[in-house]
Amino acid sequence: MKKWLASAIITLMAVVIVTGCGAKTNNNAGSEASGNTSNSGDTTTYKFATDASYAPMEFMDKDELKGFDIEFLDAVMKQAGLKYEVTNTGWDAMLESVKQGTEYQGGVSSVSITDDRKQTYDYSMPYFESRNVILVKEGSDIKSATDLKGKKVAVQTGTTADILMTKIMGNGDTNLKKFDSNAVALLELDQGGADAVVADVAIVQYYIQQNPDKKYVSIEDNTNFAPEYYGLLFPKGSDLAAKVDPAIKAIIDNGTYAELYKKWFGEEPNTDNLK
Amino acid sequence: MDFKFDIIWGYLPLFWKGTLYTILISLSGVALGSILGLFVGFGKMSRRWYLRWPMQSYINFFRGTPLLVQIYMVHFGLMPLILGKTNSIAAAITALSLNAAAYTAEIYRAGIQSIDKGQTEAAHSLGMTHFQTMRFIILPQAIRRMIPAFGNEFIVLVKDSSLTALITAPEIMYWAGVMKGQYIRIWEPYLTAAFIYFILTYSLSKLLNWIERKA
Repeated sequence: MKKWLASAIITLMAVVIVTGCGAKTNNNAGSEASGNTSNSGDTTTYKFATDASYAPMEFMDKDELKGFDIEFLDAVMKQAGLKYEVTNTGWDAMLESVKQGTEYQGGVSSVSITDDRKQTYDYSMPYFESRNVILVKEGSDIKSATDLKGKKVAVQTGTTADILMTKIMGNGDTNLKKFDSNAVALLELDQGGADAVVADVAIVQYYIQQNPDKKYVSIEDNTNFAPEYYGLLFPKGSDLAAKVDPAIKAIIDNGTYAELYKKWFGEEPNTDNLK
Repeated sequence: MDFKFDIIWGYLPLFWKGTLYTILISLSGVALGSILGLFVGFGKMSRRWYLRWPMQSYINFFRGTPLLVQIYMVHFGLMPLILGKTNSIAAAITALSLNAAAYTAEIYRAGIQSIDKGQTEAAHSLGMTHFQTMRFIILPQAIRRMIPAFGNEFIVLVKDSSLTALITAPEIMYWAGVMKGQYIRIWEPYLTAAFIYFILTYSLSKLLNWIERKA
């Protein structure tokens, strides 16, 4: 009996230690701010998951979450008067746990709103306009997305660049190389395995700016690449969307959004299509 | 839990193609790795230090570093050096072969050294040369002892080949990732992939059992 008890205690301690060390979270009490009074009775701490590997939208600076999305969520939740915390769970874990909705009640990770995804998730109102662009070597004969047919193209799996290029090149075409992250897709372009990379404009501009010696240029194609919108991700049937949407509207209207946007991207946002 | 079989159905042709590539990559990896491993293994057992040291370092490197890093090094480093550009399938086969060689080398060595020294001495006293001793006395016994270890290595290699999805070798795990990207759902693609890998490794272990009985 003693042995049994000892092993139970050790197991319990191990569980406590593992779970205690496992989750490093950003704790932010939204109630500090003078918020929207409609949610002031809500003392739940809403847990958000993110995949912090998408600079400058969300990334880890040492052990701290940073990026436009992170500060945006902070502004929204303060406005709504809701408590929340964000954890870097990685993409797969975020999708699955937000779908289940038990541990995490939301996801913030530059998730584009698409009809396919709406079958499984609810979204907030759109909060960010993005566009895909093509990255090629200077002097390339690629001028638009349709020129990419028959060429080798690298994208990150599951991004809207992937979805758009799959539509253009066909599902199952191995000339469309789908990598785990944009970082590896860009390396493939560097090493001659791909003729072009298609990705969000923020990522592409960042890469060109960081690597001026590589002589890359970005190509816009507004006919084939329609603008797309990021939304906060919620489980199906969540009531959280209804709570945050007015707050998102409010921070767009009161200029907080523009301020954040300028801080991260150095220019004024065009918010006409967000409302 | 909702599980959408219809989206798996749509991906079956691609999973089938992926399965063929997994088999191609794994079989090539096993074959080339076993041949290369033979040289590495004998090199390591050599009495000459200039053969022994490089082979020992080879084994240390490939057993001691993550296969994923080796795959990236071959894909983005070695292949562009040889071919002038990247090639995912060639890189996948090369990386798995180089990695498997380190493990099979140790299997060869263990198998050969497990045969009692008295056998070598007896063969020599019968007037057999070193080569004859190996060919007729040691290897026939050693190979029988190596079979289970080889089987183990093959099965691990089939599953390890899934890592090559990260350099877009179009095998099973790659299409699982593609499917995951389209629907942003986890279980349908990953459980389908797991199921296919299980069928592959289970048939392989049955085959190996049969070979073991025959040998």
